[in-house]
Amino acid sequence: MSKLFYDKLIVFEEIETEIAKVSQSKEEKEELWQIVDEMIHHKVLDMILRKLPKDKHREFMDKFLAAPHDESLLDYLSAKIGDDAEKLIKKEMDALASEILKEIKSNKLV
Amino acid sequence: MSSDYDQIRNKLKVKHAQIRNDFSSNHPHIEKYLAEKGISLSKIREHSAKIIGAGALAGALLLSPPIDMKALPSPEEIIQKLNRSQESSPDLPQKILIDALKSSLPTKTQPLNNSQEKYLESFLTNITGVKVKATLEGEHLNTVYGLIGAEQHLRRYPGDTLGQHGAGDTLEEGIAPGLGAWGYFASSYENLTPGLINTEKWYAVVQTLYLPNWNERAKYLINWYKYRKVLIVDTDNGNAVVAAIADSGPAAWTGKSFGGSPEVMEYLGGPKYKKGPVLVFFVDDPDNKVPLGPVDYNKINMSEMSLVQS
Repeated sequence: MSKLFYDKLIVFEEIETEIAKVSQSKEEKEELWQIVDEMIHHKVLDMILRKLPKDKHREFMDKFLAAPHDESLLDYLSAKIGDDAEKLIKKEMDALASEILKEIKSNKLV
Repeated sequence: MSSDYDQIRNKLKVKHAQIRNDFSSNHPHIEKYLAEKGISLSKIREHSAKIIGAGALAGALLLSPPIDMKALPSPEEIIQKLNRSQESSPDLPQKILIDALKSSLPTKTQPLNNSQEKYLESFLTNITGVKVKATLEGEHLNTVYGLIGAEQHLRRYPGDTLGQHGAGDTLEEGIAPGLGAWGYFASSYENLTPGLINTEKWYAVVQTLYLPNWNERAKYLINWYKYRKVLIVDTDNGNAVVAAIADSGPAAWTGKSFGGSPEVMEYLGGPKYKKGPVLVFFVDDPDNKVPLGPVDYNKINMSEMSLVQS
């Protein structure tokens, strides 16, 4: 099983639909899913680390790697950042979804 | 000239590289930290799978909050309730199921622990008459409790078209441009048997790609999962259907854990049903006797039911 503490905050259904339209096989579809997945991990962690005080980076990463699925990390982050971590992640992911869709849809204009 | 797929793939790979570069330049100390740990952010799902897998083997409760097992009626209580109600209310088995699940499952879908799964195995087997397992022949899905989303029809043979998939509302979902995880169901229209027609009609999608050991055991698992029967139970209304796994997905970033064919989704929630919470268990059917399609468990013969909890 695979689960990350921020999974519940990410719903990129429109991107999935667009990927399904151009993929001819399971392998093609899953390759694009993986690329999007990796973008998500880097964007989420980048945002968290930019917001989190630097002296808490190591502590957070230790907690994250010990239990990547643990949703209580959202409470931990909210407390350390002093802002609603869920909202911050959702906002970052909304922006990423728009950027990815823009890339995909611009292809249709070529 | 490259295909739409190639062009989109290339664009996404460029964006992916930019995002990774941004991360590296913004947080070089974290890059170093991850390198020392031997973990790549790109492989964080695999790392999560290993952590959760190790915890599950140790019997730890990893995911909270736990469901209230005491809220579920025991198998003995189920049969007592059903026997009492057979004359007065023919719908009661479904009502018992809905009430029990509503009062006991977490409101938000999430993986359940081993004891919760074992109880639900017994509960669903007793009430629907379909013998189910969370772990079958050592194989286990990523979760048994998740959101299911609407899928399109799958092409069954080269040249198959949407118009060949019956009539009515289920055609509105359309037909997937690509093939299912196992390719065509038949090499030609002539080789398309009634059984294969039924398999596509009642198909399910599960996240085989996120199984923790998929890459190491792909050859075996591909065969094991092909058309494997699962019982899907809508936890909101109790509707249940037996489906055959015929595709891989959905992506983890959709919020969904399963997919259902247009017919599966229509039976579970009606013609406009696009997404909802379900339980999904393997059907233990070594003799291939359990038919695909709706499970009308309100008509089951109570005298034939086994109500011994395994």
